[in-house]
Amino acid sequence: MAGLQGRAGGEQTVDPGTSVIRVEGVRKRYGSVVAVDGISFEVARGEIFGLLGPNGAGKTTTVEMLEGLRVPDEGRLHVLGIDAVRSSAALKPRIGVALQTPSLYPRLTVDEVVGLFASFYETSRPPDEVIAVLGLGERRHALTKDLSGGQKQRLSVALALVNDPEIVFLDEPTTGMDPAARRSLWDLVKRLRGDGRTILLTTHYMEEAEELCDRVAIMDHGRILEMGTVDELVSRHFHERTVFFDTIAGVPDDALAALPGVARLRHEDGGHTLLYTADVGGTIAGLLALTEVLGDEPGDLGIRRPSLEDVFLELTGRVLRD
Amino acid sequence: MDRQMRRLWTLTVANTKSYVRDRATVFWTLVFPLVFVVLFGSIFSGVGGGKTSIGWVDLDGTTVSAELAASPAVAGAFTLTTGTQDEMLQAMRDGKVRAVVVVPHGFGSAVVAVRAGQAPAAPLDIALYTDPSATQTAAAITGIVGAAVAGFNQAMSGLPPVLRVNAKTLQSEGITATAYLVPGILAMALMQLGLFGAIPLVEQRQNLILKRLSATPLRRWTFVSANLAMRVAVALVQAGVLIVVAGVLFGITVVGSWALLAFLVLLGAMTFVSLGYVVASFAPTEDSASQIVSILQFPLMFLSGIFFAIDAMPGWLQAVARLTPLTYLGDALRQVMVGGVPFAPLPVDIAVLGALTVVFFGVSARYFRWQ
Ligand SMILES: Nc1ncnc2c1ncn2[C@@H]1O[C@H](COP(=O)(O)OP(=O)(O)OP(=O)(O)O)[C@@H](O)[C@H]1O
Ligand SMILES: [Mg+2]
Repeated sequence: MAGLQGRAGGEQTVDPGTSVIRVEGVRKRYGSVVAVDGISFEVARGEIFGLLGPNGAGKTTTVEMLEGLRVPDEGRLHVLGIDAVRSSAALKPRIGVALQTPSLYPRLTVDEVVGLFASFYETSRPPDEVIAVLGLGERRHALTKDLSGGQKQRLSVALALVNDPEIVFLDEPTTGMDPAARRSLWDLVKRLRGDGRTILLTTHYMEEAEELCDRVAIMDHGRILEMGTVDELVSRHFHERTVFFDTIAGVPDDALAALPGVARLRHEDGGHTLLYTADVGGTIAGLLALTEVLGDEPGDLGIRRPSLEDVFLELTGRVLRD
Repeated sequence: MDRQMRRLWTLTVANTKSYVRDRATVFWTLVFPLVFVVLFGSIFSGVGGGKTSIGWVDLDGTTVSAELAASPAVAGAFTLTTGTQDEMLQAMRDGKVRAVVVVPHGFGSAVVAVRAGQAPAAPLDIALYTDPSATQTAAAITGIVGAAVAGFNQAMSGLPPVLRVNAKTLQSEGITATAYLVPGILAMALMQLGLFGAIPLVEQRQNLILKRLSATPLRRWTFVSANLAMRVAVALVQAGVLIVVAGVLFGITVVGSWALLAFLVLLGAMTFVSLGYVVASFAPTEDSASQIVSILQFPLMFLSGIFFAIDAMPGWLQAVARLTPLTYLGDALRQVMVGGVPFAPLPVDIAVLGALTVVFFGVSARYFRWQ
C-alpha cells in the first residue's frame, strides 16, 4: 500500500510492472443495455481498489468479467498476467470470489460448505481457521439456510479466502452486515492487504470507500467517471471548503450565492444548506450579517471539507444511499 | 487424478447430505414407492398372500384323489383352483395359476387294487405343468409335488409305487399381479429419483451455487459425475429395499441374474437422471421444475405398462406406451426379476434405454445453463 500514496494525480498511477489487474477498453452489452461501456483501469499488487457506483452502474458486470464468469464483447482483461477470458481455468485457483448474493448450499452446515470448497483447491487454508477469522465459530454446525443475512455474507467472504488467494474479489461484501461486523470485515480486508494480497471490492458505502480503499473508481452508466485516491478526487473537484447551516426560510439563494468566496450552493435532504467557498471567513461573516438583518441567526453552523459523497453527487447527480 | 477423486467423493457426500436433509424429496423418491409396493401388493395378492396358486385337474374323481388334494403336503403348500384341464391350462397361460397338476383317470381304482394286495401293471403318470421361464418357481413347485407324491407312495410301504410325476412345461402368458407390479414399481421409483433430481439442480442454479462453483477450479464433469454418483447410489439402495420388502411380504424372488439386475437399475437411473437434466435445462425456476416434473411423471407412469400389461390397452394407447421410456425399463426389470412374457427382447430394452440416455445427455449438454 505504501508505494501508492506518493504517486499523485492522473489515472496512470499504477506502474505496469506491479499491476495485477489490467482492464483495457472493455465493453459488455445485454440487448440494448450497455452494462459496461469501454472501461480501462489497472490495479497494483497489494492495493485495495474500490468500484463505487449507483445501482446498475456496471460494477458487478465488471467484477464478474475479471472472475471469468462473464465474457466481454470487446476489450481485454488480464488478472495476474493471465487472460481472464481465454485462460480463466489457470486463474481460478489463484483468486477468491464473493458474489454479490451469497450462494450457499442451503442444506449443508457452515463447516461442510467450507470443507467442500476447500476440497476444490490444490492448496487451501484450514477450514477452521477461515471460519474463525469470519467469526462464524458459534454457527459452524448450523445449516446455511438458517443463518442470518449478515452471517451468510460473512460465510460467502470466508469461501473467498479458503484457497489463500492472491486476489480477492468482493462484490458489496458488507451489505446486510451490522456495524460491528462491517468494522471487523474492514479490519480483515486491511490485514489481507498487509499479507500482500490485492483486493477489488464494490460498494455503495462512501464511508467504506473512504476508510478502506487505496484508490476508487466512480462508475455510472457503464463508464468510469473518475479514478484516484479519495483525496485526489476531492481536491480535483473542490478547491473550496463547505460551510453548512440549517436552511433559513427567508434568505433567497441569490443572496447566498453572492456572499464573498461562494462558488456553488446546494440544499441537502437533511435540511442543511451547503456553501462551497474559497473564503470561509468572508462567507461566514457575510452570512451572519445577512441573517442579522432578518433578526435571525443560523442554527448548526459549521465548516467541513467536501467528502467523497460530494464528489459522487457532483459526478452522478445522485445520492447513493439515503 | 487422486485429487479429482477426492473432489468427486467430497462433492458426492455433500450432495447426499443435501438430498437426505430434504424430507419431501426423500419421501417421494424413497418412501412413496415402498408404500406403493406394500399397498398394491397386498391388494393384488389377496388375503393371506403367501401360498402359490396352482390349478388342480381331477380326472379321477374318487375319494382317493380327493384325499390327495386334501393332504397336508398339497393343501398346505398351495391354494388349489379346480376345473377342467382346458380351463386350468388357460388359467396358467393367463398367469392366474403358476402350475397345473392333472390327476389321471383310474388313480383311485389303482390305489384300491394295490391296497387289496394286487400289484399294479405300471405306475400311473400324474402330469405337472410348470413354466420354464420362471425357473425358481417351477423348481419349487416340482419339488413340492414330487415330495407329496413320494409321501403318498410311501404310505403304502412295501408295495410298488402307484404314482409317478410326469413333468411337462407350458409357457405361461402372464405372472401374478403382484409379481407383475413389483418391477414396475421399481421402475417408477427410479424414474422419480431421476426426475426429482431436476429440482435441486435448478435450485442450485437459481441461488447461484452453480455460478459460484464456476469460479472455482472444480471441473464440470466432476460436478456431473458427483451428481450422478449420488443418484445411482440411492437407486441401488432403493432397489435393494424394494426387493427385500417384496420378497419378505409377497414371496417374490429374483429369477434372473443379480448382476444383470444391478446393471439395469444403474442404466435406468442414468436414463431418468439424464431426463431430469433435460428438465433442468429448460425450467427457469425451481417452481417450474417441480411443476414440469409432476406433470411429466403421471403420463410417463400410467402410459408405460408398468401397472397394466400393454396388450390390455387400446391400440392408440399401446402406440403411446411404445414411446414411453418407462415401458422399456419396466419390461427389462420384469424379465430379470420375475420372468413372464416380455414386451420386447431384453437387448432391445437395453438398447432403447441406452439410446435415450445418450440423447438426454446430449440435449442437456447443449442447453443446460450454469448461470
Ligand atoms: N445477465 C444480465 N442480463 C441482462 N442485463 C443485465 C445482466 N446483468 C446486468 N445487466 C444490466 O447491466 C447493467 C449493469 O448491471 P450490474 O449488475 O453490473 O450493476 P451494478 O453496478 O452491479 O449494480 P448494483 O449496485 O445494483 O449491484 C444493469 O442495467 C443491468 O440491468
Ligand atoms: Mg452489483
